[in-house]
Amino acid sequence: MSQSAVDVPPKGGFSFDLCKRNDMLTQKGLKAPSFLKTGTTIVGLIFKDGVILGADTRATEGPIVADKNCEKIHYMAPNIYCCGAGTAADTEAVTDMVSSQLRLHRYQTSRDSRIITALTLLKKHLFSYQGHVSAALVLGGVDITGPHLHTIYPHGSTDTLPFATMGSGSLAAMSVFEAKYKEGLTRDEGIKLVAEAICSGIFNDLGSGSNVDICVITKGNNEYLRNYMEPNPRTYVSSKGYSFTKKTEVLLTKITPLLERVEITEVGEAMEE
Amino acid sequence: MGDSQYSFSLTTFSPSGKLVQIEHALTAVGSGQTSLGIKASNGVVIATEKKLPSILVDEASVQKIQHLTPNIGTVYSGMGPDFRVLVRKSRKQAEQYLRLYKEPIPVTQLVRETATVMQEFTQSGGVRPFGVSLLVAGYDDKGPQLYQVDPSGSYFSWKASAMGKNVSNAKTFLEKRYTEDMELDDAIHTAILTLKEGFEGEISSKNIEIGKIGADKVFRVLTPAEIDDYLAEVE
Repeated sequence: MSQSAVDVPPKGGFSFDLCKRNDMLTQKGLKAPSFLKTGTTIVGLIFKDGVILGADTRATEGPIVADKNCEKIHYMAPNIYCCGAGTAADTEAVTDMVSSQLRLHRYQTSRDSRIITALTLLKKHLFSYQGHVSAALVLGGVDITGPHLHTIYPHGSTDTLPFATMGSGSLAAMSVFEAKYKEGLTRDEGIKLVAEAICSGIFNDLGSGSNVDICVITKGNNEYLRNYMEPNPRTYVSSKGYSFTKKTEVLLTKITPLLERVEITEVGEAMEE
Repeated sequence: MGDSQYSFSLTTFSPSGKLVQIEHALTAVGSGQTSLGIKASNGVVIATEKKLPSILVDEASVQKIQHLTPNIGTVYSGMGPDFRVLVRKSRKQAEQYLRLYKEPIPVTQLVRETATVMQEFTQSGGVRPFGVSLLVAGYDDKGPQLYQVDPSGSYFSWKASAMGKNVSNAKTFLEKRYTEDMELDDAIHTAILTLKEGFEGEISSKNIEIGKIGADKVFRVLTPAEIDDYLAEVE
C-alpha cells in the first residue's frame, strides 16, 4: 500500500523515545525551540438563528507578536467552524485533521456533518495525547438537530454551553458575556456582543490584540467576516516613506530559477496492457 | 485448454503468458450492466443502465454513479460490492492527497492510485482481483478527462468508451457518433442514444443513471426529472 506522510502514528499516542536525548542536549546547553502560542481571546455564543464565533488575531512567541493578523477561526465543515487557542501548530493540525475526517464521513453517509461528530473526533484525539497537544477549542455550528456550541480543553474534556470563551483573554471576554448575554439575541445584537467581548480581550489582555474576526453560522448558510473590526490601525505612517541604506547587493545573476516553465501538449496518458 | 491447469491461482502465469484469473475478472465485467462515458469539449458525461433484480427493489436507494471528490465522479460495470470497496479506498486516497499537498487531487493521480490498488490485488496472496472496470470522469486544470481502469490495474484515457454487456455495439455506435468538438449537452444525448441501442425494454429515468461534470468543475448526478427532460429531447 502507498505510504504517505499523513499515516496515523502507531497506536498509543506519542512515542517518547527521544526524551533521553533531549535531556542530554539541554544539559549540554542547547536551548529547546520555543513554540508559537496564540495567547488568545476566542468566544462563541448561540443566538436566535444559529451560532456566532469570534476571535482576535494576535499570535505571540513569548513577548513578541509573531503574527499581527493570523486566522484563528478554522473551517471544519460548511456548517461547522472552530476557534483555536493554545499552541498554533496544534490547533491548526488538529482542526485540519478532523476537517478531513469529517469530509470523508460526509462522502460515506451522504449527509451533512453534525457538531457532535466533530466534538467526539476532537476529544478522542486530544485525550489520547493526554494534554500534550495544547489545543483549547471553541467549536460551533448548526446541523439538523439545531445550533450547538462546545468548548474543548487540551486534556479532552468538553462543555456544552450557550456562550463560551477560551484563551488568555477569556476572563475579560466572559465578563462582557455574563453582563450582557440573553437568550434570543438577533444577528446584529449577537455580532455586537461578540465584537465587544473580543475587544475586551484585545484591550485588557497582553496575549490578545489586533483585529476581530467573526463567523456567523445559521441553518444552510455561513458568513466568515474576516477582520470585521480593526480597532488597532497603524496610526503614524511616514508619508515620506522609509529609505534604508543598501548594505549588501542582491546579485540577480546569482538567482537561479528552480523550475523551468514547460508547455505540455498531450492531455491523456496511454498505458500498454 | 492447457490454460485451465493454471487458472486456479492468481499469482501463477499460464504457459501462454496470461494471468487467467484476470481474464475471468474481465469476463465478470463483460457480463455486468452496460456503462459508458463520453468526453466533450467542455465536460464529461458518464451513464449506466440501472436494471434492478426485481420491481420490489426501492430504486431511489440504489446509486451506481458515485462522487470521489467534488470534481471527480465514477461509474462501473461488474460487481457492485467490489465497486463500493474501491470507491471507499479512492476517496480516502484523494483526501490524503488533499491533506498533504493542500491541492485537490488531479484526475490522473487519482486514477493512477486506484489502478495501483487494483494491481496490488493481482499480485498478493489470498486475494482475488476486483471484478469491476471503472470509468472515472473528472475536470481539473488540464480540462475534462475520462479514464477507464480495468481489473488488471491498467488504465487508459478515452474520448469515449463503453463497458459491460453491450460493449461492442456501444463502442461501434460511439465511434460513428463521436466528434472532437462535441458539447456537453450533445454528449449527454449521444450517451442516452448509445444506452438505448442495446436496452432491453423501455428506457426511462428510473432505469438509467447519468452523471456529468462541466466547466464549473462540480460533478453532479442528474435527477430523474432532468433525465426525463433529456429523454424527451432525444425522442
